Amino acid sequence: MSELYYQPQADEIELFQSAHLQQLPILIKGPTGCGKTRFVEYMARKLERPLYTVACHDDLTAADLVGRHLIGSTGTYWQDGPLTRAVREGAICYLDEVVEARKDTTVILHPLADDRRTLPLERTGEELQAAPGFTLVVSYNPGYQNLLKGLKPSTRQRFVCLNFGYPHREHEIDIVCREADVAPAVAARLVELGHALRRLEQHDLEEVASTRLLIHAGRMINSGVSPVRACGSCIVEPLSDDADVLQALMALVDLHFGET
Amino acid sequence: MEEWIGNRWHKFITRRADRGFPAAAVELEAEKKTIGVLFRALGGAPGVRIEAASAQEVFVRRSWLQRLAGSAQSAVIAWQDGDALRLPPLLQVFPQQSLNRDLYLWLAILAARSPQQYRNWALDNQRLVTEALTQFPALRPRYRRLVEALLPLRPAPESLPDDEAELERAIRRALLDPQTATDLPRANRAPQPVPLWLYPQAALDDPLAVAADIPEEGDCTAGSTQSLSERKRGERAEERERRDGLMLFRLENLFSWSEYVNLERSEDDTEDEDAAAAAEDMEKIVLSRQRNQRSSSIRLSLDLPSEAYDDLPLGDGIRLPEWDWHRRRLLEDHVCLQAYYPRNGDPAPLPQHLRRDAALLRSQFEQLRTQRCWLRSQLQGEEIDLKAWADFCASRLAGHAPEPGVYQSFRATHRDMATLLLADLSMSTDAALDEDNRVVDVVRDGLLLCAEALASVGDRFAIYGFSSVRRQQVRFTLFKNFAEPHGDPVRGRLLAMRPGFYTRMGAAIRQATLILRDQPQQKKLLLILSDGKPNDIDRYEGRYGIEDTREALSEARRAGLHPFCITIDRSAEEYLPYLFGQNGFTVLNHPAHLPLRLPELYHQLTH
Repeated sequence: MSELYYQPQADEIELFQSAHLQQLPILIKGPTGCGKTRFVEYMARKLERPLYTVACHDDLTAADLVGRHLIGSTGTYWQDGPLTRAVREGAICYLDEVVEARKDTTVILHPLADDRRTLPLERTGEELQAAPGFTLVVSYNPGYQNLLKGLKPSTRQRFVCLNFGYPHREHEIDIVCREADVAPAVAARLVELGHALRRLEQHDLEEVASTRLLIHAGRMINSGVSPVRACGSCIVEPLSDDADVLQALMALVDLHFGET
Repeated sequence: MEEWIGNRWHKFITRRADRGFPAAAVELEAEKKTIGVLFRALGGAPGVRIEAASAQEVFVRRSWLQRLAGSAQSAVIAWQDGDALRLPPLLQVFPQQSLNRDLYLWLAILAARSPQQYRNWALDNQRLVTEALTQFPALRPRYRRLVEALLPLRPAPESLPDDEAELERAIRRALLDPQTATDLPRANRAPQPVPLWLYPQAALDDPLAVAADIPEEGDCTAGSTQSLSERKRGERAEERERRDGLMLFRLENLFSWSEYVNLERSEDDTEDEDAAAAAEDMEKIVLSRQRNQRSSSIRLSLDLPSEAYDDLPLGDGIRLPEWDWHRRRLLEDHVCLQAYYPRNGDPAPLPQHLRRDAALLRSQFEQLRTQRCWLRSQLQGEEIDLKAWADFCASRLAGHAPEPGVYQSFRATHRDMATLLLADLSMSTDAALDEDNRVVDVVRDGLLLCAEALASVGDRFAIYGFSSVRRQQVRFTLFKNFAEPHGDPVRGRLLAMRPGFYTRMGAAIRQATLILRDQPQQKKLLLILSDGKPNDIDRYEGRYGIEDTREALSEARRAGLHPFCITIDRSAEEYLPYLFGQNGFTVLNHPAHLPLRLPELYHQLTH
């Protein structure tokens, strides 16, 4: 299995390993595009466990996680959902943006996330005991204010929490350099621009430039698009629709990548 | 006639004498957004405003024509203090518009990294320039263009007396080659303004003198709102005759010094038009601190309006409890809340200036209403739900046969929610935001637009406002209750909204909780619009008010409500997390954006 690139921000790898060893579920908090998913993928490879990722959404039902009966040529048969498969195989099950899922789906996680480690399958009458390597990982973005969504305290208190931010300057330069395959000078400039944009959070912008956006811009530059154009289409445009703000952000891009 | 000739002469002679290029002028107003974003992105403090600077007297050498015209003894220069970055309202230094625009951006870039106080004006500026050029190589050609365009516009050193020529040469060197860090020699006059540099706040008229004496920051300008678009230099003068002030304290209806200081009444002074015009021409407004406060104290009229003028009371007062944090117990029936119905609230349509936004919002929110989806496992419906069918067959084979809900139906989902909008209508909302608007106007527009949005999505909602005069009268104004459909009567009442007195927030929240609790909807949202801390003129201030509000909010949560606060108070970060929790509030940095942000926030909170 090829090694996946991941640049640790702090001691999250050790924490993840310990939690995995202690069979504790993990909650990852962090803004969009800061490397949550990549981290989980990396840890799955490192721990040599299969990974089941589920992107949660409004309509995600318990059956989508647990499984359902399907109709086949010989009648109905039971099809395991990703969570059930992970529980059986002792894999890592990663529920991305778990707050997006409906409240009733998070409840089925409760018996899995404490010392019982069981998953009751109502439809088939089974009660599965999680295999030793099974780890439940959920993530969410706390910056998103919504009163009606959010993890209940009773759910939150079952998890080991890892708090992610955007990586430090040097780390982020390494990451952009490596992921986008651009020269360190270009990566440094992109990260500089990213940091400038992040200072605008709450005041001028609702969401700030994620590491992922910087990498996308880097890739476009790498494939021959002019840096100003690449930053415009990959970083500035996704952040705002307001014409004045766009113009102002382009002035900022120009400052970093304008013709010298 | 004499005046006419005088005016023509003035126009003629100033046109000849001004060195600017009005045809290529760029206005600050047009570039403000870009300047602000650039400034903040490069590290400028987010709280700092971008403002127009007023002309500043500079002791420079003038050409004979300028002396005749009386212009150019004052120049508009850029400077910065803790509150604001002050840039010329108009830049016409260069003959090309693009250069003038570049100059604005250049000043913003410098300002973002500029120190609060300058040790040596010339050296500090050169250091700033060097740093900026090193960090952003893309700036170098732009800077070069600016300098190259600027030099021919400056007076030739040969035409100046020796000491000034020396100074001018040094400035030219410093501009052309900032790395060398040229110090400037002293001359009899201040150097010709250098539009590419920032000026030290302490010595705008003679920047070379900056190191000598740094006076303390004048704070008499803080908190005062002027209707002038240009910022005047405030200068504090000592009040000599302090005895005059004492008379005022004899007035019975003034409570104490500290109480009216807290209220920032200085903001409801009406500006005299003539005074405003006079101030426009002045370069410095000398205000005495005490005088300023005295005039505001006289404006305190705490008497309730007469019955004939007041809003219409509805029924007898409602007794509500209040939390006393000293004794840690709830004082039963401590507060009397009186419901009011706005007077003069005749039915009225939506005001013209909101119609466009309202139409936009309505179409956006109608989309939410028509959001439909498949409802699964229904007893009847348009199509067979295969999944439910499979489940049903499987469980029948397994022996147990539950109710067969095997259809799916395509239906609009019902947004099962009730929202109560509660607006703080205390006197502080009477403060002016800008030339045309007071805070209360923005709150009113916000509520009007929000009502349009909510009505179009079909959510149930009610709108109330509150203010208070001690615990005997918490005024709870009804604009729309849950039962009434939205329409012109509601709009009319909202348009008749008036700012009231103080902010006894706890009682208002308790009453709102009582109303909202009785609604049958499953999700209940209590949206509070506020512009400051809870306070009243009795002990309901500081910690007492905060603790009572917190208690009222936790009662609301226990009743199954979701309280959320939208505030325009920039210091709200200090107390709102304690009241509403870290994710329970939003601070709007631009109060003027409230009307459009409010429906947006509602959508974000409830979608």
